[in-house]
Amino acid sequence: MPIRVDPKFIDVLDHYGAEDVQLCYQCGDCSTVCPHADEIYKFPRKSMRLLQMGLSQKIETTLEPWLCYYCGQCSTQCPREADPGETMMSLRRWLISRYDFTGIAALFFKSRRIEILSVLFISLLTGIFLGYYGFSGGSVHIYDGEGAFLPSTFIHQFDLMVGAILAVFLVVNAIHMWYLVMIKGTTFSVPWWLYLKELYQLPWHFFTQKRYSECEKKHKHPFFMPWFIHLGLMLGYVTMLVIVMVFIEELQAGPEIHWPVHIFGYLATIGLLSGTIYFIRKRLKKNYVQYKKSHGTDWVFVTLLFIIVLTGIFQHVFHRTGLFELANITYVFHLMVVVPWLLRMPFTKWAHLIYRPMAMYLAAIRRDAIIRQKVVTDPYLVLIK
Amino acid sequence: MEETRNLNIEAIAKYSANLPKVETVRILKLRHPPDVKDICEMIRSGNLERLVIAGDMPGYFKPVFTKAMAMAGANTNEIRLASFQEHGAKGENAMDRAKAIVACATLGVPFPLAAVPGGNPVNHSTLIIGGGIAGIQSALEIANAGKQVFLVEQTGTIGGHMAMFDKTFPTLDCAACILTPKMVSVGQHEMIRLLSRSKLVSVSGKPGSFRVKIRQSARYVDVKSCVACNLCAEVCPVKVESEFDAGISVRKAIYIPFPQAVPNAYLIDETKCTYILSDGKKCGVCVKKCPKECINLDETDKIIDLEVGNIILATGYELLDVSKIEQYGYGVFPNVLTSLEFERLTNASGTTGGRIVTKTKRLNKKTKEEEWVFSPEGIPPESVALIHCVGSRNKKYNPYCSRVCCMYSLKFAHLIKEKVPNVNVYEFYIDMRAFGKGYEEFADRIRQEGTFVVRGHSASVTMHNGQMQVRGEDIFNDRLVEFKVDMVVLAVGLIPSRGTEELSRILGVHRDNDGWFSELDYNGRPTETDKGGIYVAGMCQAPKDIPDTVAQASAVAAGVLGSLTSGKGIGNMSSLSLSKIEARAKKIHTI
Repeated sequence: MPIRVDPKFIDVLDHYGAEDVQLCYQCGDCSTVCPHADEIYKFPRKSMRLLQMGLSQKIETTLEPWLCYYCGQCSTQCPREADPGETMMSLRRWLISRYDFTGIAALFFKSRRIEILSVLFISLLTGIFLGYYGFSGGSVHIYDGEGAFLPSTFIHQFDLMVGAILAVFLVVNAIHMWYLVMIKGTTFSVPWWLYLKELYQLPWHFFTQKRYSECEKKHKHPFFMPWFIHLGLMLGYVTMLVIVMVFIEELQAGPEIHWPVHIFGYLATIGLLSGTIYFIRKRLKKNYVQYKKSHGTDWVFVTLLFIIVLTGIFQHVFHRTGLFELANITYVFHLMVVVPWLLRMPFTKWAHLIYRPMAMYLAAIRRDAIIRQKVVTDPYLVLIK
Repeated sequence: MEETRNLNIEAIAKYSANLPKVETVRILKLRHPPDVKDICEMIRSGNLERLVIAGDMPGYFKPVFTKAMAMAGANTNEIRLASFQEHGAKGENAMDRAKAIVACATLGVPFPLAAVPGGNPVNHSTLIIGGGIAGIQSALEIANAGKQVFLVEQTGTIGGHMAMFDKTFPTLDCAACILTPKMVSVGQHEMIRLLSRSKLVSVSGKPGSFRVKIRQSARYVDVKSCVACNLCAEVCPVKVESEFDAGISVRKAIYIPFPQAVPNAYLIDETKCTYILSDGKKCGVCVKKCPKECINLDETDKIIDLEVGNIILATGYELLDVSKIEQYGYGVFPNVLTSLEFERLTNASGTTGGRIVTKTKRLNKKTKEEEWVFSPEGIPPESVALIHCVGSRNKKYNPYCSRVCCMYSLKFAHLIKEKVPNVNVYEFYIDMRAFGKGYEEFADRIRQEGTFVVRGHSASVTMHNGQMQVRGEDIFNDRLVEFKVDMVVLAVGLIPSRGTEELSRILGVHRDNDGWFSELDYNGRPTETDKGGIYVAGMCQAPKDIPDTVAQASAVAAGVLGSLTSGKGIGNMSSLSLSKIEARAKKIHTI
């Protein structure tokens, strides 16, 4: 299939954070030091090269950007200070916008203003709607039960609706990703049973993020590894999502604590709070190469999440201490952040929650298929892994 | 006019506007090429005949202006470049220089023609600082023309780095066979006074008549009566790493750098000698042993005053400290060598007699520690990795290309293949810079000899169970490769030698951003500096290979001899005033 060269591609990637790609002179130091680069998936140099040549149609079918966890080794070693690590990060951002069929993601990544305005707009809309609903049907002095300001059954339905919208976008985008990688970008045959054989990769990488832990060899203690904090953040997030989507009635019931649900809620809160504080601090301090350059969307991501966690905690405390009015108001504010946050999920960095494990899964399938196809015989070359 | 660093562009524009025949002056504060149509309109409306593009790199924008001239129907040959950077508009009188450059360009007179400093009568003796191949070549050229030369060398012998080499690329000639006859003739030449172990202390006077003060450190051995019998070194108890062998062998505190040294006499390392360090209380065995009684351990440093007309800088280079580039494991793994170390290992006069072997473990009797040393009985390596661009072309260390590494690494590959049977040699390179006569052919020859030339740099040398591994990306074959190797040779980047900064301070010669001495005009006057009567030759100006160094050294000699015989005298470029250059340019213009 002929591939079109896109000479403007490198300028487009500027908006996504890859500013120094042109400096690269293809020495391959980055691929050499990368703990994840192997015989099948060689990066970051190759991705840098494709980018320099403007082969956007080729890059959109590659999985390499998703296989990078940005340990920063390549950027530290790079003799040209071309920042390959940041380039891989930017390519991930670009891929998110590429998988997204609506084009909203591209808008968000290119313009910080549009992103913030859209968040404010949806936030206000949510606020007005919930305020109207609350004041028309209930009393601000009642938190739960009959005549409540925001009854949990209503919120449950509301959640499910938002979740359904979210799921549609995510599923369609994930299918698009699969199409690009496995149909458009695969020239060799992939037997169907490989999809079953490697299926375990999906939950394995989703719940352990094993590859991320392999990235950070310099930290001796696992508790200080970004991987650990990130895992806590992610698990907390997913737990919270499940609680809110399924157990919202139990969560919001009574001033007394409903332990079977709440214990998970507390654990999730610890994960979320420590995670957001950790990453905000890292991004402010900038003493590691991977946190030196923060894209606008990164800041929106961590800041919104931090606000959600804080308002959630306050709402919980107010509710349990009997300050129902304050609890209700905080609840509205909480939801005013949560709804835009959830709705912009498929178009932002957050989507890597789905794309990462998906990429590991597809990468494993592709690897198997490639190894089935070619047996590498070469007397002097030693295969790695 | 383009935007230029720390120059007052407005003032230059104002000055240019007042020059004769200047129609319009425009300041283009642009880094990107300006609009062609815009310029074309300007040329048409002003009915301009000649365009002068002034700025730091005006040639970069020339195509745009050529197009504009063509579109306006004017003569495209009438575009003049006034390059500030090229003609050295920097330092204190940068503004005057820039103005003069513009003035010359508007008149159509080449700047170097108009800006000729002169006037001072010239002393006929020449001082050369640095006794490497550049200094030797210049000294011989000038001395052969019958003029007095003082050759100042910091170490105990002339020869410099070239004396350490085994072969030269691409001809694979024996380096010593080229160099040592030259060294001998320097030592014997009646017009050359060789000052070994000497350093420039201060300079006064003006171009043409410098008064220089030189400190000659005590050699402790009488050069004239020493016959280099080696008896003193045999009894000397102090062992030191040999500088000449790049630290891979051991010499005594009283030593001769190498057997063919000039002057061919022993000397004493005063920083290591027990007698000197203990103020004459201990040791002194060499004095008793010397049959010619030529050792005088109480000798003191001498100050030598000289009057010279010209000074040639040929101070050379040294290797970047590679132990700070941690990923290559230099200093951690025993068999990771720098290029100079390998050069001494493979040299027939080296510690292993030219056998290429890996280091062997030996117990140091004094410190009771195991150490890795080269011995002639060592095991030859089964595979060797040569890594190019170590510290060169790297923004963290040397942003520039060191220019010789590709070629000498290829030479190493050949020497290893020649000397060790059934050896695998892996060359990791980024770009093969085989830029000289016969160089590309040499590179091709090395490839044909079966060296695995891997296009891709390696950034990691690791040790697994006592086996070194070099990892790299073979870009042309689309592979990640990991080779088991026994020896790694690093093509380490070059930096100016240690004394360069001090020397530039003493002499007032500018250095460029990388620390090398600045030449006056990179294209037109590559041997002169902006100080009149001070020249640069060889590596101290920029990295270059032996042929280029020799060529530049001879060119310097031509410049020096010209100043001695022309009768016009020499002067300081910086003392040349704007009005003088203007007047001269006008004079040339009217002719």
